[in-house]
Amino acid sequence: MKGLGKLEYYLMVLILITLLNTFLGENFQSTAIVSVLVAITVMCKGIVVIDHFMELKGAHRYLRLMMKTYFVIFPSLIMLTIFY
Amino acid sequence: MMSTKQTYVPLGIFFASWSEKKAGRVPGNIPIWVGILSELTEFGIFFSAYFIAKFYYPAVFSLGPQSLHTTIGVLNTIVLLSSSYFMAKAMANIRMNNLVKCERFLWLALLCGCSYLCLKTWEFHWNDLQGYSTSTNEFFTVYYYMTFNHFLHVGWAACAILWVIFRLRKGAYSATNHSGLEALAVYWHMIDLMWILIFPLLYVLR
Repeated sequence: MKGLGKLEYYLMVLILITLLNTFLGENFQSTAIVSVLVAITVMCKGIVVIDHFMELKGAHRYLRLMMKTYFVIFPSLIMLTIFY
Repeated sequence: MMSTKQTYVPLGIFFASWSEKKAGRVPGNIPIWVGILSELTEFGIFFSAYFIAKFYYPAVFSLGPQSLHTTIGVLNTIVLLSSSYFMAKAMANIRMNNLVKCERFLWLALLCGCSYLCLKTWEFHWNDLQGYSTSTNEFFTVYYYMTFNHFLHVGWAACAILWVIFRLRKGAYSATNHSGLEALAVYWHMIDLMWILIFPLLYVLR
C-alpha cells in the first residue's frame, strides 16, 4: 500500500480542523478565544486550499495575493465580532 | 490565402508586471478568473451583509446556529473538502496523461457535489419541518440568502464537471493541453473556499 501523499495529508488536516471548529462551537459559548481560534483555523484552511488544492503556490503571484487577502479580511472580521 | 493559425496578441491594457512572464502562470484561463473575481465580490457582499446584520441583531445571530442541523453542516464541509481533493487528484493525473484515473477522480468529485446537493436539500426540508423559513428572523434571511446561492453555484459547477468528463472522453484534454479542465478545477476550489467561510459563520459562531 502506498503511503499518504501530500494531498491526503492536507485533506486529513482540513477535516480535523473542521471537526475541531465544530467541537469548539458546540461546547463553548461564544467567547473571544473561540472566535479567535475559529478565525485563525478558517484562515489556515483557506490558505491550504489556495496553495495546495487550487495550486496557486508558484502560480501567478497577484492571483494568489488576491485569494489570500480574501482569506485574511473575512476571518479578521470574525475577530472583530468579539467587540459586538 | 489566410492562415488559420491563431497567435496570441496581448491586449496591452494591464501593467507589464501582471504578465504571466513576470508574475507567474495563470491557472486555467483569464476568463475563468474574471468569473472567480465576480463570484468573490458577490460572496463578499453576502459576508459583509452577515457581519452588518450580526452587529444590529447579536441576540438573533447568537441563537441562530443552535437552530440549524450542525451534523449536516459538518458532513457538507467534509464532502466539499473531499471533492476539492478529488479535483486536485484529477489535475495531477491529467498532467501525467493518465486519462482513465483523471476521469475516475472527476466522477468522484461529481459524486461529492451531488451528495452536497442532496444533503443541502434535506437540510432545507428539515428546516421547513422545524418551521424555519426566510422570514423567521434576520439570521435565517442571511442563512437562506447565503446557502441557497452557494447551492446554485455547486449545482452549475457539478454540471460543468459532467461537461468536462464528456470532453475528456472525446480526447479534448491531454498532459500538454488541459486549460479547460484546469479552469473548472480552480472554479470548483473557489466554491469550496466559499463554503469554508460560510460554515463557521452560520453553524459554529454563536
